[in-house]
Amino acid sequence: MPDVHSRTRSIHDQKPVAVPKIGRWIGGAALALSAAVFLQILVTNENMQWDVVGEYMLNPAILSGLGMTLLLTFLAMVIGLLIGVVLAIMRLSSSRVFQIASWGWIWFFRGVPPLVQMIFWYNLALLLPEISIGVPFGGPKLLSWPTNDLITPFSAAIMGLAFTESAYAAEMLRAGIQAVNTGQTEAAATLGMTRWQSLRRIVLPQALKIVIPPIGNDTISMLKFTSLVSVLALPDLLYSAQMVYARTYQTVPLLLVATIWYLVLTTVLTVVEHAIERRLANLRHDRPRKAKGLFSFRLFARQQEVLK
Amino acid sequence: MTASAVNGPLLKVERLRKSFGTHEVLSGIDLAVNRGEVTCIVGPSGSGKSTLLRCLNYLERPSSGAVFLNGEPVGLRWKGDRLYEMSFNQLSIQRQRMGMVFQSFNLFPHMTVLENLIEAPVLVKRVPRTQAIREAMDLLERVGMCERASYYPAQLSGGQQQRAAIARSLAMKPDVMLFDEPTSALDPELVGEVLAAMRQLADDGMTMVVVTHEMGFARDVADHLIFMDGGVIVEQGRPAEVLTSPQHERTRAFLYRVLNESQGV
Repeated sequence: MPDVHSRTRSIHDQKPVAVPKIGRWIGGAALALSAAVFLQILVTNENMQWDVVGEYMLNPAILSGLGMTLLLTFLAMVIGLLIGVVLAIMRLSSSRVFQIASWGWIWFFRGVPPLVQMIFWYNLALLLPEISIGVPFGGPKLLSWPTNDLITPFSAAIMGLAFTESAYAAEMLRAGIQAVNTGQTEAAATLGMTRWQSLRRIVLPQALKIVIPPIGNDTISMLKFTSLVSVLALPDLLYSAQMVYARTYQTVPLLLVATIWYLVLTTVLTVVEHAIERRLANLRHDRPRKAKGLFSFRLFARQQEVLK
Repeated sequence: MTASAVNGPLLKVERLRKSFGTHEVLSGIDLAVNRGEVTCIVGPSGSGKSTLLRCLNYLERPSSGAVFLNGEPVGLRWKGDRLYEMSFNQLSIQRQRMGMVFQSFNLFPHMTVLENLIEAPVLVKRVPRTQAIREAMDLLERVGMCERASYYPAQLSGGQQQRAAIARSLAMKPDVMLFDEPTSALDPELVGEVLAAMRQLADDGMTMVVVTHEMGFARDVADHLIFMDGGVIVEQGRPAEVLTSPQHERTRAFLYRVLNESQGV
């Protein structure tokens, strides 16, 4: 006890010194150093050819490729979700035939890579030279088209992307619909609602709230998946850039142009998704949520989910 | 609607049986509910009370036997001499005439109280929106929920939610109201406000079938008390008679148990 009397200040007079966070300081320093090296490469490496990047950022060919990428993303998502809703409802119907048909579709299109599908759809004419509407099994045909008139790089790309999305969307929507309490459909039934009314007004609005975050995530994935269409020589963002550097041999700067545009688009989509989620959270008065900063959300959290 | 139907009981149950797999939950129920009457169904849990109630509006399909609303079979229809099961959408027309209140309220969480009330009248009955809102506000007034019209269910207490759910059912102007243990999920201090709303409804002449554990409510409000056990009606009659001088041993044992419990023993 020699110490006690030498002390001149009470415990109530001062704040304790915090535990030193040495690990954080070391780690932070290492990361800052890495970032500095990376930035130095970005800025000083001549091969980046930033002047060329700047020159092509708003090039008409690149911009029209950007438009194609957005169009493909939009159409594939809309068609995929529409098919997905039908598949989810079929999967949950009490009819075995519907269940099996839906299961089979989901099994196939979730299992086959979209790139393989696209090439397959593009070469459909080799399998079916002609597509016709009429009585099957050798009956008369009412309408008939050569397959090669129907299948363009664009339609093959849309099919490959939308069918893949439909399989994933169906599973998400099924989970969302199942998460809605059966008491909700019973309440709707006792109020005299028909099946369709109950689905449209009671079940789907609640299910959609549950699946909007994963749908937003899928949209961002879809935007990136559209780059696969370059194998069909469809001029999307990536293929437009490739066409330029095939001519000028400025490979790195044009890939940078494409990279920057992809990052811009995914960032915009992420912000939009975040805004929609916040809106939904505000509508759900049971769970008040704190607004978070721009960098504490999604971009990182979602990526982890995808990687796991 | 034929003349005989109007004179007969509003709701009639004939030789109703219901099995889940090999387990028979209801073993032959006969029952009549007259217009304007309050019928309370009591009994130990697992006695089939709730299943019986859910068979009345065909939320459960009876294994055999039938329920009649105003003389018409519920969920079934005649075509000549053949009997057909109704489609869900045909059934929905009959269900409009039978309101139901659930133990777990089942308000629509994505709608305000007012939207919950006007949803079915506007969607199903094509009532003009302004008229539906006016009628809904009257109903909310009756259950003392006017100030909560623009609240979401999750912002309300259990008692408030259940009163809103009662108003929602009434908005369809049903002929009969079915209550499936409406106060069982409530905190004890909130039971009274829901029972008061139900009592008021009974006073207004609504035909009600109430599955409940609230013996006080049954004694004071019911015109007809039914005691069920093991899938059958053991005893029924005027509540005063059944409660004070039960004829069956099973009824006596049940009443002894619940009355002692309710006194906090």
